[in-house]
Amino acid sequence: MRALKSRIDDSTFELNLAPMLDIIVSIIPMLLLSVVFTRITVIDTPVPQAVEQAVAAANEKNKDLIQVRMAVAKNRNVQITIVDHGQSKDYEVAALNAKTDLDGLYKQVLAIKKDYPDVFRVELNPEESVPLEEIVAVMDSVRTTKSSDKKVVFTDSTTGKPVETNLLLPDIIFGNVAGG
Amino acid sequence: MALGRRRGMGKYIDKRVASTFKIQITSMVDMFVILLVFLLKSYSTSPVNINPSDQLTLPASSSTKDPTEVLKMVVSKTGIFVDDKKVVDLKDGALATGDVDSNDTQFIRALYSELDEQVKKSRTIASQNSELEFDGKVIMQAERSLPYDILRKVMYTSMMAGYSDVKIAVMLKE
Repeated sequence: MRALKSRIDDSTFELNLAPMLDIIVSIIPMLLLSVVFTRITVIDTPVPQAVEQAVAAANEKNKDLIQVRMAVAKNRNVQITIVDHGQSKDYEVAALNAKTDLDGLYKQVLAIKKDYPDVFRVELNPEESVPLEEIVAVMDSVRTTKSSDKKVVFTDSTTGKPVETNLLLPDIIFGNVAGG
Repeated sequence: MALGRRRGMGKYIDKRVASTFKIQITSMVDMFVILLVFLLKSYSTSPVNINPSDQLTLPASSSTKDPTEVLKMVVSKTGIFVDDKKVVDLKDGALATGDVDSNDTQFIRALYSELDEQVKKSRTIASQNSELEFDGKVIMQAERSLPYDILRKVMYTSMMAGYSDVKIAVMLKE
């Protein structure tokens, strides 16, 4: 009976939280100093290494043969021109409520990628009055596939093996900068 | 009488229990742990910290590429800044006629001079330190409502100065 009483006494103890509190109080000011509430990133090509080489090879191969140009007009219509071995095809995505139809543009680019899976570079030519936010939105909608859609499969020209990627047209260059 | 009262007080003080007490800190620790988890989630591991100014609203994008340590250029509605130094005045996002070259309307002379200085500085550093090299990269933080016209002029001038790899800074869309 005495042993049981002793055991009950042992099982009740107070946890000493003071050292833990000391650590937390030291860490919190450090974290508060380095906290970021808005993360700034840059628009670039987020390509994994293996895919990056295949994309670079595909871009090099198609440099003069297949070119994709995308013009954003001031009325927000987007015109996509594909020059395939000298023959040109045009697709137009009409504006929706005076804004670029981003969903329509994405669907159009997805359809184009079915015909040209190894094309990753697009020449973007916005008109002078198009604001930056609209240009960034266009770039976002043509960069990658949505998670609900199937990935793009293309053949790596160096290894001959099929490569699966969620990239559509990630290599975006402003075509009309140097044009003056 | 007074002595009697003092004696009574002394009696009371003697009877008092030693003044040791424990603060109940469990709830405070709970609060700190919640705060710690929140701060750890928003902790930045990026070596480059870009703080956009109050007058600048960056466009939102889904791009997750972290910025690297390169030259920073800001294009706001009030001016063009290179490494926090104002080089060109803008009036509501528009350039004055005298700021552009008369023969080439895309060329911003003051911006070119500053960028050219930066190129010379970077090349001098690169010649002294073999680990560093001038790669012509620049991060452009631009106001989201600015038209492509001004951005094109900035990009064109940067390209002429040797900064051909212009990266557009954006705010990550959550």
